[in-house]
Amino acid sequence: MLRRGWAAEVGDYAIAGGWTPRGEALVVGDAAGGVYAFDGTSGATIWTQREVHDGGVLAVAMHPHRPEFATAGQDGRVLVWSATDGQVRVDIDIGNGWVEHVAWSPDGTWLAASCSRKVYMHGADGEKVWRSDDHPSTVSAIAWSGSEELATACYGRVTFFDASTGERRQQLEWMGSLVSLVLSPDGDIVACGSQDNSVHFWRRSTEQDSMMSGYPAKPSALAFDDTGTLLATGGGEDVTVWSFQGSGPEGTRPGVLDLHVQPVTTLAFASGVMRLASGARDGTVAVWSLEKDAKGRPIGAAVVAGAVSDLYWRPDGRALAALDAQGGATAWRVSKW
Amino acid sequence: MDTPRNIPVTILTGFLGSGKTTLLNRILREEHGKRIAVVENEFGEVGIDQALVINADEEIFEMSNGCICCTVRGDLIRVLGNLMKRRDKFDYVLVETTGLADPGPVAQTFFMDDEIRAEYALDGIVTLVDAAHIEQQLGRSDESTEQIAFADVLVLNKTDLVHDDALDGLESRLRDMNRMARVIRSERAEVDVDTVLNLGAFDLDEVLGRRPTFLEPEYPFEWTGVYSLDVGRYELSLDDGPDPSMSLVVVPDQGTDDSALREGAEWCVRRYAEPADLVRPGDQLRVGEHLNLQLDSPGRKSFFLEVETPMRVGVFTQHTAEEFDLQLLNVDGATPTANGAPRTTDAVPVEVERTWVAQHEHDDEVGSIAIECEGDVDPDRLNLWLGELLRERGVDIFRMKGFISLAGESRRFVFQGVHMLFDGQPDRPWGDAPRRNQLVFIGRNLDEATMRQGFEACLV
Repeated sequence: MLRRGWAAEVGDYAIAGGWTPRGEALVVGDAAGGVYAFDGTSGATIWTQREVHDGGVLAVAMHPHRPEFATAGQDGRVLVWSATDGQVRVDIDIGNGWVEHVAWSPDGTWLAASCSRKVYMHGADGEKVWRSDDHPSTVSAIAWSGSEELATACYGRVTFFDASTGERRQQLEWMGSLVSLVLSPDGDIVACGSQDNSVHFWRRSTEQDSMMSGYPAKPSALAFDDTGTLLATGGGEDVTVWSFQGSGPEGTRPGVLDLHVQPVTTLAFASGVMRLASGARDGTVAVWSLEKDAKGRPIGAAVVAGAVSDLYWRPDGRALAALDAQGGATAWRVSKW
Repeated sequence: MDTPRNIPVTILTGFLGSGKTTLLNRILREEHGKRIAVVENEFGEVGIDQALVINADEEIFEMSNGCICCTVRGDLIRVLGNLMKRRDKFDYVLVETTGLADPGPVAQTFFMDDEIRAEYALDGIVTLVDAAHIEQQLGRSDESTEQIAFADVLVLNKTDLVHDDALDGLESRLRDMNRMARVIRSERAEVDVDTVLNLGAFDLDEVLGRRPTFLEPEYPFEWTGVYSLDVGRYELSLDDGPDPSMSLVVVPDQGTDDSALREGAEWCVRRYAEPADLVRPGDQLRVGEHLNLQLDSPGRKSFFLEVETPMRVGVFTQHTAEEFDLQLLNVDGATPTANGAPRTTDAVPVEVERTWVAQHEHDDEVGSIAIECEGDVDPDRLNLWLGELLRERGVDIFRMKGFISLAGESRRFVFQGVHMLFDGQPDRPWGDAPRRNQLVFIGRNLDEATMRQGFEACLV
């Protein structure tokens, strides 16, 4: 299932990255503040820019259509790059704090970034559009619920902002430290991992909320499949999958995918198929084939040198890349079925 | 939490103006060869280039169950979580809290978050105390009390601004609140860096090695002298001292080894529980009774002791012998005459002497309780007792440390905790060492008798 494609190295802990839309390149940012681009097929280095973000890269967001991406770092800056030549197209100085999250809207119109307790909205060319008031705590995650609405998570709250005006549209509250956030593709289901080892979720249309507790660790990795049926969650060594089929997941038993021996660090669904990739602190990578009832079986596995920091499916679903704590970037070719 | 590669973290707490930033700069200057990361919650004047200084707002996160014991510091989880990713890892992390910070959530972060736990080891909590202002602060705020209760090291700073007498009083008050902590005096936070870093304070062996007496019970007496006496008449002579009276008990047939001294001390505690008889200068001392010597007249005062069969006596006194220049003299068989006829006197040498941890008045709500006993503990009963204790009193228990002899386990079980969070594991084998239990709790309004009974009920 997973056939070794190529392996490359960056200068430090590989923090985040992603594939360009057509899969020509894999971009990686590291903890030393360097940014790298590798050829998607061969893994050869296309370009390298070292020590760009003083203190280290914290987040990378790939543009949905163009071979461009944004990086954010401890230096308080957001940079927009061309993946082709490694030139910085836009340099946004947000301020005196870590910029921990950055995300393009699905249509590529907006670029959102969070720094400390505020979220900042920019146009595609980096022009400032608005910034939020202080959240009750540092923003812990951001996600787009569509191209016109941004969601933020922080301690005790998920907030929805109008992308063009910054107006608050909805606020969902839950007394707990929310450490991760994911939205179903239609934007209706909001799921957050909480520091107290639970997953909390809301249905925005009905404002009904539920909590899934009993995780051995905090669920910092969450992923929805394309259809919004399955929510995969980390929070321990197992991957726990909840099915939103019928009246679920309330009152149902989750699927439990047991293979990793250390806590799961990242989860990613391939697009168009119920195929999930999971990575763990022990350096193992697994690919699972899932059913709508949340049951699944492993269809491929591999090991990398360090704790898996993130996994990225190539947009066509035919390759998977893993970044790890030892600075490794590894790509596998994936057979269709 | 204790794998060797874990990065040690020291937490510096103390009220505004207590000298945290001065101490921080001192540490950075003296440890300049090391890569140190500093996490600050208020803007200080850290002026050292080599250090990476990260400013983060103090963010206390409660868990959804609303228990105050389950609060963590979200800012530390984020910042430390990111710092540990670098290849050129830091040798040391210093966290400087705000003046009003509750150390509880800071310490709990190192127990509660598994990622932080995997990479870092809380080395110790250092609390700076402004000697000139702490008395007022203790009266006004819970935070200053908690900062003292949580400390592994108390730096009594700005001592140049306070009289020695007041300092002694302050130090003894702080010690009553937290008997686990080491107290260091300083003027401008000039302390030896070794006394605040690399303490391994959450490592009990280190603590016991450094301060083997911290678990000792407190006694109503400070000093014991053992004398070997032949038949005859003896004079106990005391000079002017700090108090107008002093109580004592003369214990008959006192042994000289450590266990005999402890036995004598325990016997003596019961005598001390009885009301004392006032004894005036020139009076006879009665063996085995709680006596209070009247010492308010100036000059040396004498009390007498008749010995009819040779024996060793233990003199257990409220204060140390040194404070009153206490001496026991042999009055050579002759009774002193009213006209002061000459007599020969010889000072009787002290065969063995020792001092005890003195009991002070506990006027603070926060105090320390130490339980020490021999014997094996039934694990199930211990679990039940500790579970109930932490559930009911966890809010009031700031810190606990100790080791336990579990029945059927060949190794010592060591534990430590913060509020309701408890962390324990088997450590080294007992080998030939006597199996025993030592537990210390620092908390608010803890009932020593009940806790002691509860623990003793777990013994097999």
